[in-house]
Amino acid sequence: MTMLSKKSLLNIADLSPEEVMQVMETADSFAHISRREIKKVPTLMGKTVVNLFFEPSTRTRTSFEVAAKRLSADMINFTASSSSLAKGESIMDTVRTILAMQVDLLVVRHSHSGAVKMVDDMIDIPVINAGDGKHQHPTQALLDLFTIKGRFGRLKGLKIAIAGDFLNSRVARSDIMLFEQMGMEVRLVAPSMLLPEDYSCYRVENSLEDVIEDTDILYMLRMQFERQDRKLYPSVEEYRRFLSLDSSRIRRMKKGAAVMHPGPVNRGIEITDEVMGDMKSPYDNVIIEDQVTSGVAVRMALLYHILG
Amino acid sequence: MYSRIIIKNANIFDGIKTKPFKGDLYIKDGMVEDIDENIDIGDSKAIRRIDASGMMVMPGMVDMHVHLRDPGFEEKETIESGAASALAGGITTMLCMPNTRPVLDEPALLQYVIERGRNTGVRIYPAAAMTRGLEGREMTSMGLLAEAGAAGFSDDGMAVADARLMFEIMRYSRQWKKPLILHEEEYGFSRSGLVHEGRYSDSLGLEGISRLSDDLMIGRDIMLARESGARIHITHLSTKGSVQMIKRAKDEGVDISCDVTAHHLFFDDSCLKSFNTSFKVKPPIRSAEDRQALIEGVIDGTIDAVISDHAPHLDTEKNTTFSLAQFGTIGLETLFAASYTSLCRGKGLQPGKLVSLLTSGPAKLLGFDAGTLEKGKRADAVMVDTGGSYKVRKEDIVSKSRNSAFIGQELQGRIIYTISNGKIMYESG
Repeated sequence: MTMLSKKSLLNIADLSPEEVMQVMETADSFAHISRREIKKVPTLMGKTVVNLFFEPSTRTRTSFEVAAKRLSADMINFTASSSSLAKGESIMDTVRTILAMQVDLLVVRHSHSGAVKMVDDMIDIPVINAGDGKHQHPTQALLDLFTIKGRFGRLKGLKIAIAGDFLNSRVARSDIMLFEQMGMEVRLVAPSMLLPEDYSCYRVENSLEDVIEDTDILYMLRMQFERQDRKLYPSVEEYRRFLSLDSSRIRRMKKGAAVMHPGPVNRGIEITDEVMGDMKSPYDNVIIEDQVTSGVAVRMALLYHILG
Repeated sequence: MYSRIIIKNANIFDGIKTKPFKGDLYIKDGMVEDIDENIDIGDSKAIRRIDASGMMVMPGMVDMHVHLRDPGFEEKETIESGAASALAGGITTMLCMPNTRPVLDEPALLQYVIERGRNTGVRIYPAAAMTRGLEGREMTSMGLLAEAGAAGFSDDGMAVADARLMFEIMRYSRQWKKPLILHEEEYGFSRSGLVHEGRYSDSLGLEGISRLSDDLMIGRDIMLARESGARIHITHLSTKGSVQMIKRAKDEGVDISCDVTAHHLFFDDSCLKSFNTSFKVKPPIRSAEDRQALIEGVIDGTIDAVISDHAPHLDTEKNTTFSLAQFGTIGLETLFAASYTSLCRGKGLQPGKLVSLLTSGPAKLLGFDAGTLEKGKRADAVMVDTGGSYKVRKEDIVSKSRNSAFIGQELQGRIIYTISNGKIMYESG
């Protein structure tokens, strides 16, 4: 069992490429456990993991909970709204209270960039960043990578186009770093106002039309019209025209190409209803549910490498 | 308390000449009695003798940008605690900003600051607000405020967004012969911003403040000053563009001066990687290229003064996330060492040039009779050890607040003695 070189996972850059591959391998074997009839192993019996969420989340929180429980760890959810804990003192007080209960690991999400590092700096037990503001979401990047590896059997040389709001996306910040590190060719698709100022080092396209026929993977970011500090993008109609995936576009994608999204999808904005389908997408290129399944395996692997 | 002090064997910087004079400084009854080689005054026990071999002796510094937080935020700093912090930093004259509560926009409030500032050992001059309540809507009674002792006018912390109002303030200020000290910020660009917009804001996911926030307003105010003939002073420059614009404006004869903080000279935005909120300041600490341009602006004489922009905040206001933390760092106690380390040690600026930017330079801009060491003048002097280095430690801070961006830094230029009005007011422990 290899431990990771850092006690906590705050930033995807905390992991070396070797450590990333190690996590992928471990996740592979844990993925098998989730396919068994008895989906539980005693690996982390007696360990206590706390989901400390200062920002509402269902998917990520549940994914960590399932992962911890399949490893037989005790999982406690602590959800506090950022507004009732507006002052930094209160974040610290909350963490102190939880630490006093002698827990073993914190999974932390907060709506402010840097807040998870602030928690980690205060304490000795490991912390996993489940998303901090617009900064990082390392476990999402790892589960995305695991999904891609599972689908394509390789990473090096794969062409991935990431489309949408880079300015406000912690997923993009982690994904770009990890995908490039693993030898994938990353292109960004976004209009000027959804890109940070200094993205000149990346290949940037302005419309899906520029990448649709040529990419192995199309990764759609979540567009949050309601969360923008300034009203940046003119309209949903404009977004649909240049940046959303509809059936005519998906049909022009390369054979075997994949469509990914960190979820939840804004139907009719990033991806049309038609492409999403009812219970299942009519297009087998859409592997969004695979990402969710991968999430459990990858988070099991991380808990195992950090706590095991 | 000694009424006579002799400092022997010092490298004496008089605040004006670049080259030091090697010799003795004799202080008697609050005044500089003599500066000469080997002054012999006998061996009376009533004289305090200080051996300054290898030390720098310079005029007490003049910091033209300090937030004393009094009245209104006395839990952060009071006039007394701010003065003690200044003395620990070798500062014997300072201009304090009017963004207190209430705002210094009425003569009686200036009187309060002036009264409370007496007998602190530091000459404290208030700047008065340009607009009532710093709201940027109506001009203050600038004439009455000037008569009540305003040493300048400033809405520091805020910019006057309304260009016409700014123009009228500039025109009227000419009648009172006091500088307008301008904090430049274009709110469309700075709104919700936390740090410099660039590589680090991008990778850290922190909202950025573009250089254009500073540059647009500085450009506007240069135009307004050219048109109105006002005497303007742009405070805390942070961008390369602003240095270039001001240099050009000076060449064209606009009556403009400017200053830079010690922290903008010392740090660049790579410091943000730590997510340390001590680096959350306004204007933001910008890129390495901007920092380099500021340093060059000091060296080529475009920049007229170095300031602390001492901005005290409580630990609870800083020990939080970047979004929630207050803007500002304290700086009185590290003003000299931080600027000496970054300019004289780092970039080879002659110490005498730095001394004038911290003494006679700002004194001249504000019309203060201070910032020089001359026979027959008030004895405000500082002795500095520029030989070794020291580490800035939180527990050594004198100010009531401890939000220093310099904690943990190794600096050169420790203040050993501060003499104000002929008396030793600070002695390093």
